Amino acid sequence: MSDLAIPTLQAEAQRERSAIGSLRLIQTACILVIALVIVSPLFMLLIASLKDDRFQILADMGSFRAFWVSNPTLSNFAEVSNLSGELAFGRYLLNSLFILGCTVGAGLIVNSMAGFVLAWGTLRGRALVLSLVIALYVIPQESIIMPLVIMVSRAGMTDTFAVQIVPWVASPLYIFLFYQFFAQLPKELFEAAEMDGASVFRIYRSIFLPLSLPALATVSILMGIESWNQYLWPILVTQTDYARPIAVAIATFFGQDSIYWDRAMAASVLMMIPILALYLAFQRWFVSSFVGSAVKG
Amino acid sequence: MGNRLLSFLMASVALGGLAEAKTVIHVMHQGDPGWVSTYGEVAKRFEAVNPDVDIELIYAPHDAYNEKFSAAVMSKQLPDVMELDAPFLANYVWSGYLQPIKPLIDKDILDDMTASNVAQGTYPVDKELYAVGLTDSSVVLYGNRKYLEAIGARIPKGVDDAWTREEFEGYLEKLSKLEGVKWPIDTFRGYGIKTEWITYAYGPILQSAGCDLIDRKTWKSAGTLDSDACVDALTMMQKWVKNGWVVPQSSGTNQFFAEGQPAALALGGHWIYAEAAATMKDDIVVMPLPKFGPKGASPNGTWIWGITTASEHPEIAGKFVSFMLKDKALRDYAKEDSAYPGLKSFATDSPLYANGGPMAVAFEQASKTAIARPPHPAYPIITSAFMGAVDEIFNGGDVKAALTAAAEKIDEDIEENDGYPPFDEQQ
Repeated sequence: MSDLAIPTLQAEAQRERSAIGSLRLIQTACILVIALVIVSPLFMLLIASLKDDRFQILADMGSFRAFWVSNPTLSNFAEVSNLSGELAFGRYLLNSLFILGCTVGAGLIVNSMAGFVLAWGTLRGRALVLSLVIALYVIPQESIIMPLVIMVSRAGMTDTFAVQIVPWVASPLYIFLFYQFFAQLPKELFEAAEMDGASVFRIYRSIFLPLSLPALATVSILMGIESWNQYLWPILVTQTDYARPIAVAIATFFGQDSIYWDRAMAASVLMMIPILALYLAFQRWFVSSFVGSAVKG
Repeated sequence: MGNRLLSFLMASVALGGLAEAKTVIHVMHQGDPGWVSTYGEVAKRFEAVNPDVDIELIYAPHDAYNEKFSAAVMSKQLPDVMELDAPFLANYVWSGYLQPIKPLIDKDILDDMTASNVAQGTYPVDKELYAVGLTDSSVVLYGNRKYLEAIGARIPKGVDDAWTREEFEGYLEKLSKLEGVKWPIDTFRGYGIKTEWITYAYGPILQSAGCDLIDRKTWKSAGTLDSDACVDALTMMQKWVKNGWVVPQSSGTNQFFAEGQPAALALGGHWIYAEAAATMKDDIVVMPLPKFGPKGASPNGTWIWGITTASEHPEIAGKFVSFMLKDKALRDYAKEDSAYPGLKSFATDSPLYANGGPMAVAFEQASKTAIARPPHPAYPIITSAFMGAVDEIFNGGDVKAALTAAAEKIDEDIEENDGYPPFDEQQ
């Protein structure tokens, strides 16, 4: 009986192993295909930025030649890196970085403070305020953009860096994100600090904020992407080179009659680098924040 | 030391005061990197000869120009000088944004304008000139000589000699079977519906076929845009697409002179000539647009310069526009760009368009077949409704239904605006 049973069990285990192996193979293939779909446009962008003939780039786009460059050149990058002149792309990139830095920096402070107060403050009607904040989230930016343009122009803010930063610092989404994160931290932490005589601001700054790295990383990345990709707003509120961001400047390459793919691609690669760096810097906490949110439901 | 410091401070304040005394002229424009740089250089040269004036250029991307303009209107920040797409002129004048330009522009520039240039800048109600440009535009039929010779196609010598509809469709069919030809024609569908291309380039096909986007006497679209002639013309174009004769939108905007030259013909703007000729050399043939009905028709109009009613210094704004249109470097750049002349002196200076020049037929169209897009304040709706209908038709939609829906949309807008008085009184 046992002699017969052993080969059967072994065969079953072997079948199971081979099934798991096949499953893993399919999984790997699927992941590879997905990765290829995600990475290939970026790779194509990089390759195109190294070609100096804009018509060739366009002609290559429909074939595998889009992924190959025989005579790579950095001339496109040289043309979009100048810091002065009529089209100072280097300057526009720096403008964008400055706007990004200020928006994210101020946004982290303002939104985390608001989230903390809504979670632990003693304000009456906190629940109502929170509901209002969440309700604000459903209003699309486009629907308020024209009244906002009128407001900022009356305030004399057009064509400044401030006009591209201030309106986007406070955000219902990020306030709610911080609120949710702070609300999940143990009540004892707050009470113990309070008993030690710490002020509410001290509790926020010295205890809750250092514990909220995943939330800070998530908000930094999301806010950074949002600020970096702003296009319509800066078009409406900037006039001159002074505070023009790179996203608007890239549109210069898409002219009425022709598209300058070579320089547009190089500028796009340059534009991608800072946001990619931001993501890589905060990736660890960003992922843990998402995993945490998923586990906590 | 104290006195020196005081003098320095006083001098700084005085200099600061002088700087503030400068008249600032805001100029809103669009354009690709070459034009942006050229305008910047022109502004510097103007400032050098007018040290009390500061030209502040406001760039808006071509695709977002209308949004930028709307924001400027709403925030009461209209510039002094603005570049505008000619068919939108009637809407801007009717809305009160532009002022008559004749008293503000140098007389020699005004005398130098071609008839088509005057037409694109004139408001049909008061017949006043509201904008001026160095350039104009047209669309021609480009052909690849080697393919045309292979099918034995007749090469027209001038506008009067243009292909008929039967000839044109016959050649498309022959080209579709010719080895090496992937698509018989590129109609530049790749420009999409975010630009003016469809109305600009395909509108004349309707006009040549005997109809229009709107009746230009009653200013009603129903009965005109959805008339039998228009339905027939767009059914013809839909057939070209269905037969696979037209370069699809997804293939971009350069299949005529791209590597391998997969498209045999191109219904293209004057602006592609320079690059196409550089690639194709002697193989490029420039022909007039075919006659799809009783008469020939071709488009005109481009981006021109107007002075807004908000300008506090219209004389200086006009002085800048005149200076810019005479600027040699700007004209040289326009020539390099194979720009279509809107000023006679610029035409004389452009061998490309002069008699015997390779694009002479394009310039001939301006005097013989050019038809401006409807000069009506409802133009923004006319063009968007028409472009939407053409897009639907090219994607297989019912021609009559799409055109009727577009005509109704246009008429509804005109009714909602009480006929845009005084256009309702024009019969």
